[in-house]
Amino acid sequence: MTQALATTPQTVSTARLSSWSLLLNNRLAAAGLLVLAVIGLIALLAPWLPIPNPNATLPANRLQPVLSEGHLLGTDHLGRDILARLIWGTRVSIAVGLSATAIAALIGSVIGLVSGYARGVTDNILMRGIDMLMAFPYILLALAIVAVLGPGLLNALYAIAIVNIPFFARNVRGVTVGLASREFVDAARLSGKSHAAILFTEVLPNVLPVIVITMSTTVGWMILETAGLSFLGLGAQPPQSDLGSMLGEGRRLLFNAPHVSIIPGLMIFALVMSINLLGDGVRDVLDPRLRAGDLTRPQAVTRFDRRTQPPQPSGARDILEVESLETSFQRGRATVPAVRNISFTLGKGECFGLIGESGSGKSVTALSLLGLVASPPGIITGGTVRIEGEDVFSRSETGIRALRGAKVAYVFQDPLTTLHPLYRVGEQIAEAILAHKRIGKTEARARAIALMEKVGIRDANERVDAFPHEMSGGQRQRIGIAMALANDPDIIIADEPTTALDVTVQAKILDLLQDLRRERGLALLLITHDFGVVAQMCDRVAVMKDGEIVECGRTADVLRAPRHEYTRKLIACVPELGQGKAFLESVRPLFAEVKP
Amino acid sequence: MGGYIVKRLIYAVPVIVGLSVIVFGIMALIPGDPAQAILGAYATPENVARINRDLGLDRPLHEQYFIWAGNLLQGDFGRSFILNRPVLDEILERFSATIVLAGAALVLCSVLGILAGVVSAVRQFGWTDRVVTLFVLIGISTPAFWLGLLFILIFAVHWRVLPASGMYAVYGGGDLPDLLRHLILPAVTLAIVATGVIARLTRAAMLEVLRQDFVRTARAKGLPERAVIYRHAFKAALVSIIPVIGVQAGFVMGGAVYIETVFQWPGIGAMLVNAISTRDILLVQGGVLVIAVTYVLINLLADVVQAVLDPRLKS
Amino acid sequence: MKSLLRGVAFAVLLAASPAVAQTPPNVLVVGQIAEPQSLDPHVVTAANDFRILVNVFEGLVRFGDGTLEIEPALATDWTISDDGLVYTFNLREGVTFHDGTPFNAEAVKFNFDRMLDENHPYYHTGPFPLSFFFGEIAETTVLDDYTVQFTLSLPFAPFMSNLAGTTGVIVSPAAVAEHDENFGRNPVGTGPFKFEEWQSNARVVVSRNDDYWGEPAGVEAVVFRPITDANTRVAEMLSGGIDVMVEVPPDNVAMFDTDPGFLVHDAVGPHVWYVMLNMREGPFTDVRIRQAANYAVNKDTLVNDVLQGTADVSAGPIPPAFNWAYNEDVGPYPYDPDRARELIAEAGIEDLSVTFYVTEGGSGMLDPIPMGTAIQADLEAVGFDVAIQTYEWNTFLANVNPGLEGKADMAQMAWMTSDPDTLPFLTLRTAAWPEDGGFNSSYYSNVDVDEMLDQARMETDFDVRAQLYKDVHQVVHDDAPWIFVANWKQNAVTTADVEGFALQPNFSLILSGVTKN
Repeated sequence: MTQALATTPQTVSTARLSSWSLLLNNRLAAAGLLVLAVIGLIALLAPWLPIPNPNATLPANRLQPVLSEGHLLGTDHLGRDILARLIWGTRVSIAVGLSATAIAALIGSVIGLVSGYARGVTDNILMRGIDMLMAFPYILLALAIVAVLGPGLLNALYAIAIVNIPFFARNVRGVTVGLASREFVDAARLSGKSHAAILFTEVLPNVLPVIVITMSTTVGWMILETAGLSFLGLGAQPPQSDLGSMLGEGRRLLFNAPHVSIIPGLMIFALVMSINLLGDGVRDVLDPRLRAGDLTRPQAVTRFDRRTQPPQPSGARDILEVESLETSFQRGRATVPAVRNISFTLGKGECFGLIGESGSGKSVTALSLLGLVASPPGIITGGTVRIEGEDVFSRSETGIRALRGAKVAYVFQDPLTTLHPLYRVGEQIAEAILAHKRIGKTEARARAIALMEKVGIRDANERVDAFPHEMSGGQRQRIGIAMALANDPDIIIADEPTTALDVTVQAKILDLLQDLRRERGLALLLITHDFGVVAQMCDRVAVMKDGEIVECGRTADVLRAPRHEYTRKLIACVPELGQGKAFLESVRPLFAEVKP
Repeated sequence: MGGYIVKRLIYAVPVIVGLSVIVFGIMALIPGDPAQAILGAYATPENVARINRDLGLDRPLHEQYFIWAGNLLQGDFGRSFILNRPVLDEILERFSATIVLAGAALVLCSVLGILAGVVSAVRQFGWTDRVVTLFVLIGISTPAFWLGLLFILIFAVHWRVLPASGMYAVYGGGDLPDLLRHLILPAVTLAIVATGVIARLTRAAMLEVLRQDFVRTARAKGLPERAVIYRHAFKAALVSIIPVIGVQAGFVMGGAVYIETVFQWPGIGAMLVNAISTRDILLVQGGVLVIAVTYVLINLLADVVQAVLDPRLKS
Repeated sequence: MKSLLRGVAFAVLLAASPAVAQTPPNVLVVGQIAEPQSLDPHVVTAANDFRILVNVFEGLVRFGDGTLEIEPALATDWTISDDGLVYTFNLREGVTFHDGTPFNAEAVKFNFDRMLDENHPYYHTGPFPLSFFFGEIAETTVLDDYTVQFTLSLPFAPFMSNLAGTTGVIVSPAAVAEHDENFGRNPVGTGPFKFEEWQSNARVVVSRNDDYWGEPAGVEAVVFRPITDANTRVAEMLSGGIDVMVEVPPDNVAMFDTDPGFLVHDAVGPHVWYVMLNMREGPFTDVRIRQAANYAVNKDTLVNDVLQGTADVSAGPIPPAFNWAYNEDVGPYPYDPDRARELIAEAGIEDLSVTFYVTEGGSGMLDPIPMGTAIQADLEAVGFDVAIQTYEWNTFLANVNPGLEGKADMAQMAWMTSDPDTLPFLTLRTAAWPEDGGFNSSYYSNVDVDEMLDQARMETDFDVRAQLYKDVHQVVHDDAPWIFVANWKQNAVTTADVEGFALQPNFSLILSGVTKN
């Protein structure tokens, strides 16, 4: 922990720098920041600006129109200068909005932290209290609070703050519950820290981004609500102006002097809009998922932008040929290759293994074959994939879709996340069939049951209506395989199909794949990190490291005489039964240079 | 499922009881009393005391509360001091109007918000997304009560195409088309903010779901993009959108207070504003209770719908 | 092409036209400022509710059309004993209530006993907040079917005006017995209109009483629509949703005035708008400071600019509408800030920081916030430091009525009354200090005023009584316990189709003579 603390300041400062640049890169957020800065600056400089006294009345000179002499935005019903009142009013509204947010954030966060950390009775009581606040219509609550405290901007501020406590309490509690059971909190507890110390030194720093995000997204809302209360006459006391009371005073003149209410209305709009834009920007920067650009919509097919495209060879070929494939990821404005120069072939009925540690690029390779790499950020930047001699990437989107699940089918790693959680497994298999065949629903269901029997699911007739979460891991993967078999594909690409399963189940699934391959003459591209699996299943194997194939050959040859150092390490990592301590002894020297 | 609903309802009981105690407390803290409102400018301390005695308001507060609660358990909401009629009659009349308005607004904001959010997620960074995002931002950045006034100015006064206020035409009318004409402006005004909130959340939820493994699976099956988005991604996103709609129901009912005042809609929100200012404690109490129960029920409904959509939640 | 366009335009118009608010023929739609609290005339206190009730109910006497002079209504004639203690009324024969039951002396007795006798079987249908108008009645006696006699405990000059007011009208005893505490939602009277329907916050409908003893009403029905928001009320008027609106916001009066589709009506009434000054503590204990405040405020600007000419400048506590009791010789304090500064200098008071209670709106309060703000600016111009606190009406009253001591130095207030006695009696006597149950919340006390008011109350000689009020007016003007600001000219707007519409000085809205083309 101390080590982590020592490194924190540095990471924070770099993070802040990049956050700023990220924020400014977001054009809308930057525009919001600019507008807000201009409004804020003008409001801040109000005492020194050459504007009339905002409270100086001159009823004889009332309701002057916009652009009249001496009054750029005209005058209100008491002859006061609207521009001056607008500037001073904005100042008040911003101050109230910010303070209300700060108060709500403070109280709400404390409630959320305590509630999420303590759990049990405390949590229950606090959260029921929050429920009460939520069930009380917010304006009426604010109204009642102001009625008790008396009118005035400060009391309206308290009312708005109280009404908004639940937002913070609920958000913060949600995050805290997750954090409270984490190891570092347990560690701190064991080290004898007090609960308060743990909350404020361990939990709070991790909750802070959530608080900031909630604040940035509620400030605008708070300003609107304050305006609402002032509009009802419960906010600023005359002659002081705030945007809401200007709006409230101006509404009675809506029919004969609309500018008196439209101007403050537009100001509220500009202010809140700029805050919301900026708030969105802040959220994008602070939310790790958004920051990684993970929340962009992936296209149906990976984007192609091939700089190199090998010529189409002639003559009879293997069923799958990959030549000089390069897939890159966009990082900001740069494009970074993830896999490079990947070439291999897969013959009919053959099993080809693609092996490498995680991050070596084997999954990206597998997904690239049918353009399934999420895009953005993925782009296929070079090479070609030919199926039965035809370039996949030259096909149209529909053309590629026609291959998916029909000629080429995928089996993915974790069937819990790769099966749709809300549809019954039978529906999901039937859907795969219906995507490529025009048959009736009943027939599709019958075929789905047949497929489930085929992959060894007992009582398929009943299990067909089960949801994925009602099945065991092995059964789920069998469903995944049944789905892949739905349209009698020629090629199955199995991306770590057994990694998420126990060893015994793993063996059964591999047997199943092997049987199906033999029976149907399938070509199998097996992606794994386990040389044991390769040895058992594959005719040939390619070893990947850092996005490139470092060695390729017949499985037996590679196993017998690995040419690459990395291959040797991978082979050595396969333990044999009964080897025990000797295994570790034999592996240790191989990694000696990696971990000094 | 049934057990789950019962459990949730039991959880709601302390919330509602607590709320009624709080409301009673707040009303007691507000200076002035119903006698003031009954007497208007003629409220001398002497007159106020006389009327308080007549109304039983001179008893200790906790006694008043228990009398109220006891009567409530027998279905008696008491009598409004100010309106001089049974609280329940008034609330039922007003609440049905609010249900029509808030219900219409809720349907409107759910449908429009989800639609806008999905379209904007699917066409991310396209011009549709930009236009929708802009409208959504305008929606959540404009004071709704002000917008309502502008709507009246434009549609009722200037173009005379829609009525300015009320729920039915005062004479004749009273049929469904008449109601719909009166409903359009207030319902749209009320729905605007919630539409923005729901659209933003839908967009985010869709974008998150579209990154999930099972969407990739759907693509790997060779499903057309439409099916991937609407059958696979949307259904999963809906699970996280439903509770948001539940929370928005609370905001729509809250926002109805302004809108009912501006459009003279005979709903419970405007009634409560008035009842707070006239210290009509039993009316406030009954009204808040009904709204709170509705809020709890709507959220329960949202949870049930969510559980129906997502079988994982049932187990 | 052109005809196609025209066809489309026509179709659009046709689709839109049913939406255009159009009031039905021969039915008058009145935009009210709020939902009535009750339609039991003895229970309500607001002018807004009276506007409905005066069309459904009648009293023994009433104010003549356009005046504050008493004329017969349900009583044909009456006699008053010389000592001013016994009032005997002969009742109109052949009058029936809307429920068919006859109007007679028993009914009259029932009405006053219900309000005044705690042991009356229907006393619980109250409370009756304005029953003190008749507090001097010792006994109501039925002499025969059509003769009724009131015996007072004290001579009480305003008795006849109070009988002519809305609290003095007669309700059907049978209907009270039938509906009990729900009588307020099922009112039955003898007036030119009978009650039809009350839909909460939507409308109160009354229809023509074809059996009316007098001139039948000109329209078939009147619909009263509560529209609390002044803006929405104006919008409804502009969009044709209502035929009549009362209490037009000053800024909209000019707009309606220039539009040939509308008619603006106004009428002076006994209304006083003032700012009471705390005489128990603070700078206003000094008469010079109080006078300075009166000089400092520019009342002409207030009534002409802020109120857009919907009010006149006021000079003292008696409104000019009581022309027989009004002292023409007392002029308003002129706007003279220099004189104000002089007076302040003379008084030598350094600390002129004061708290000013302002309300957001309320019965007769006109535009209280803009008016308060303008007054604040005027006072600050001569050296005061004024902090405004605004309150919603009922909270405002809850703060002001118990007295300003320890809370505020100034408070806005307005009264609408039907007798010159009411306002000074309730707000200017020493015996009306809040601790004694009155409304003298700023603690004015002048023995001469107390004496004159007590005398005027019992004086049966009309001229002597008038002179007493004129003297009160002069003395109070000089003592300046208030800043005298405005007397409101009530107003209303009707569409040009409405004929025979007139506002009454006592703020009621008599609609029986109105027709609609």
